[in-house]
Amino acid sequence: MEKRFLLREHGKQLWTREKAKEIRPQLQGMLQVLNAGETLVIDVKGVEVFDYSFANEFFAKTLLSIPVDYPGRFLVVENLSTYTRENLEKTLESVGLVMIERKGKTLHLLGKLHPADQLTFDAIVRAKEPITAAELSSQLDVHLTAMNERLSKLAKLGLVRREKGTSPAGREQYLYAVLA
Amino acid sequence: MKLPDTSLSKLKLDAVTFDTLLKRQNPFQSANRTFDLTGVHFIAPSALVQLAAACYCLGRDGRQTTIAVDDDDVRSYLLRSGFVQVVQPVVRFQPRMSSLRMRTFGDMKGTNPLLIEVTRVQSGAELPDLLDRVVRVLRYRLRYKKYDAFDIAIAVSEICQNTFDHNTHACGFFAMQVYQKRFLEIGVADYGDGLAATLRRNPNNSPVASDMEAIYHATRLGTSEFSDRTRGAGLFHLLEIAYKHEGSVQIRSGAATMRFRMDKKQGWNFPVISMPGVQIAFTLPTKVGA
Repeated sequence: MEKRFLLREHGKQLWTREKAKEIRPQLQGMLQVLNAGETLVIDVKGVEVFDYSFANEFFAKTLLSIPVDYPGRFLVVENLSTYTRENLEKTLESVGLVMIERKGKTLHLLGKLHPADQLTFDAIVRAKEPITAAELSSQLDVHLTAMNERLSKLAKLGLVRREKGTSPAGREQYLYAVLA
Repeated sequence: MKLPDTSLSKLKLDAVTFDTLLKRQNPFQSANRTFDLTGVHFIAPSALVQLAAACYCLGRDGRQTTIAVDDDDVRSYLLRSGFVQVVQPVVRFQPRMSSLRMRTFGDMKGTNPLLIEVTRVQSGAELPDLLDRVVRVLRYRLRYKKYDAFDIAIAVSEICQNTFDHNTHACGFFAMQVYQKRFLEIGVADYGDGLAATLRRNPNNSPVASDMEAIYHATRLGTSEFSDRTRGAGLFHLLEIAYKHEGSVQIRSGAATMRFRMDKKQGWNFPVISMPGVQIAFTLPTKVGA
């Protein structure tokens, strides 16, 4: 399931942390009814500007809460303009967070992320179905331990979901997936 | 006629010379609650808001401050800029401003030489309207490109929010003016606790030994009164925006001031006479008709 939060309904120009504080509970309410693996899209279409305080309170705080309060849910942003993308990216970089942006069917990451983590994320997206650390390690020619570290980091940032699966040999294993 | 020592003969009162005024007259340290602007022939918006904050700060005990101002043009400007109306509860002018002139200039609001008059902002809830106004004025009176106007409004927003995020009993003052379509000056001032006291409330911050250090720390990313990771970015982003637009910023708090000139990414600091609160002057070349 996917839900959409239309940010434009709260104004074209979104100023101040206070404004974000008013709006964020609605976003949290939507996250609460989602199950693990489901997605909440923040649709920014029609929003011309938000200041850094707004972005910190609305986007960054919500992203920080996801691994703790809503593990496995995906938060995605869509329809950013060049200007709002630049400011959101600066905000995320300043807090050390990363967020998924969806443009059409393409997913990419906003914020400051090591290129190796970006490659790993892209590989999971390309896989189109849940994939194991061993498969990724072989695909990207990275040692399994290093791959597990990357995956753990991506999961902590709420960018990939870790789910339990069973290997062909019947062993328990973890699978990694991005939103559908 | 020889002017008394406390006067400011032929002085331009701006964010820098405001400190000269305080050094010579310092009503915070003397029984004489007077700002003697005799001889002053020009006042910049940054100085107007600093003066407003100083007068409100002094007025917390219920007493009025006297502002002596003789120059006719300056007196008219104080009326047209909205300064007189804003400080009316805490200031007595010498000579008195005529109520007829006050009404006349009051009716001219919006047509005055300041793009945005001296505005007293009493709560964070008033900021969105003020910021929308900043954007409108820049875009429709100065024909700024949309995103340039937004950048400036964001800078103003980040400065002004600090007043209300970190103080419980202080209001802020704002003014904006363009000069000969060449540069834009924005002044924001409050008379709250100041940066040092604010940063010291957070035990996770490194020790803050002076106002100078406080300004330095406050402009670094992630240093705030609050330990929350999403805080402490306001002044950092102000400097980033100033750098992007090749402007300059002066941040004054307590007994220190730091000036940032954006052709060189560093700050120069100076000790000044102590005044409560934080006062910021933001100057940048205009992009009129850009």
